[in-house]
Amino acid sequence: MSGTSPVIEVDELCKSYGGTVAVDEVSFAVARGEIFGMIGPNGAGKTTTVECVEGIRKPDAGRISVLGLHPLRDRARLRQVLGVQLQHGMLPDRLRVGEALTLYRSFYRDGVEPERLLAELGLTASRNTAFADLSGGQAQRLSIALALVGKPRIAVLDELTTGLDPQARRDTWELVEQVRESGVTVLLITHFMEEAERLCDRVAIIDRGRLAALDTPDGLIARAGVQQRVRFRATGPFDRARLAGLAEVSGVTTQRGEAVVTGTGDLAHAVNAELVRQGVVATEIRLDRATLDDAFLAVTGRRPAPDGERE
Amino acid sequence: MTAEAVPTLRPGPRAWVLLILTEGKLVARDTAGLVIPLGLPMLIMVMNGLGSDRAPVPEFGGLPPLDAYVVPLTIAMVVALVGVVNMPSFLAAYRKTGVLRRLSVTPAHPAMVLVAQVVVSFVQSVSGVILALVVARLAFDVTAPRSALAAVGVFLLIAAAMYSVGMLVAAISPTVNSSVAIGLVVFFAFFALGGGFGGRENLPDWLATAGAYLPFGAGMDALGACWTGTGPHGGQIVALTVTAVLAGVASARLFRWS
Repeated sequence: MSGTSPVIEVDELCKSYGGTVAVDEVSFAVARGEIFGMIGPNGAGKTTTVECVEGIRKPDAGRISVLGLHPLRDRARLRQVLGVQLQHGMLPDRLRVGEALTLYRSFYRDGVEPERLLAELGLTASRNTAFADLSGGQAQRLSIALALVGKPRIAVLDELTTGLDPQARRDTWELVEQVRESGVTVLLITHFMEEAERLCDRVAIIDRGRLAALDTPDGLIARAGVQQRVRFRATGPFDRARLAGLAEVSGVTTQRGEAVVTGTGDLAHAVNAELVRQGVVATEIRLDRATLDDAFLAVTGRRPAPDGERE
Repeated sequence: MTAEAVPTLRPGPRAWVLLILTEGKLVARDTAGLVIPLGLPMLIMVMNGLGSDRAPVPEFGGLPPLDAYVVPLTIAMVVALVGVVNMPSFLAAYRKTGVLRRLSVTPAHPAMVLVAQVVVSFVQSVSGVILALVVARLAFDVTAPRSALAAVGVFLLIAAAMYSVGMLVAAISPTVNSSVAIGLVVFFAFFALGGGFGGRENLPDWLATAGAYLPFGAGMDALGACWTGTGPHGGQIVALTVTAVLAGVASARLFRWS
């Protein structure tokens, strides 16, 4: 936790709707300046958890502290320092981009110049475009701008790249990294594993209302014990038994003339070193690296939702 | 961990002014929505003015019906249409599309946008009424109300009652369409029972009595009395005040932000 006190502390949070448990004793802490991700299947309780942090939902039990503030009792103060990008929060159709930013800026005591934010987000040319006429990417960038216009210390971004094309998604990721570099702590909810892996310092996997795992993306992948695969073609024969005898290797097979080695740890290096020892030259070495997708599957027993779906 | 130095400030006057101006721009961009508050009252004045022979009628204190009946009816109608139909549709759309929800995570309370919308709606009502009165005055020599101050007071009271009812319509409407439907039904009920389509004497007694104390009938009659100079009677004032308070309290309790 890098020594500094956490900016968000959630302690044994519980929330039910009717008889359905949405969040069940979830605890975590977010450190200052980190990008903290929350991933999980649809309806897992991510959004409910974050809504409790934002103070727009009342928990049944548990303790939440955001910058030392109580989300419900200290609502007015929390609003000044917490920038929120909502999954479904919208603007009136006829409101223009520039008007929206100027209006939202006026709500905050401290803030960023709307013009500067427009420029940073590539919205200057759309300044006079009505909200209803924005493309998906532009609307998403505007919603990020609105989350940042009050110069927040914490930004909560909910499904921020859903509906964006791959290029717009990458641009948005860069933007989130810039936001963090400017000293803002980011709480990111996503169902894109690639997004979480690329952006987050730490990731909480929420499943059926419970915190199923919490670690760095690499840590989650390693902890899941997911097998890696190395594929290669050899220029000559090699000793399969010695390859299979390596500590990292759990199996060696051949598929379509390609050797496929499965195992864990630093597999590619171990295989390569062994082949060198045997004097065999391998061509087309490819490592099928385990991803957060695999870790997610290992933790929850389910594949992450495909692109485009959301809660 | 101790609370950090975090300002407690709610948005200041600048935010209020910007919000009201912004709401005004949004309403002005909804060109179709301006026909009712600005166009309809002028149309009614012109049509009735052209058909009026300005003959004085004794039961209107010697005023022509145009002055003592049509003008009050038009004023009450504008306020009722803007307050009970137009304004709730904006607010229902704001709830439906998440505008209120988005505001609820800023330092601005979503109630601010309600207040701004009421202010803008009120400006529309006043503009529509002024336009209609200017036309009536210049083209048809309609006189000023004999109790002018009382007329202003009654106008404000009608606005309070209609806007409270409009808030209640917005509070109970799940969608934009339903808010327009509920608003129109409420408006026509007030209008028909209040005598908007002709005298209440054709209605069954109990309906006529109800219509006389519902906001439209009470408001129109009270305004008419300001024109003739007899002044509104207490029952009308009480009816409008009670409507404003009851509908206001009920809408405050029932209003959902998301």
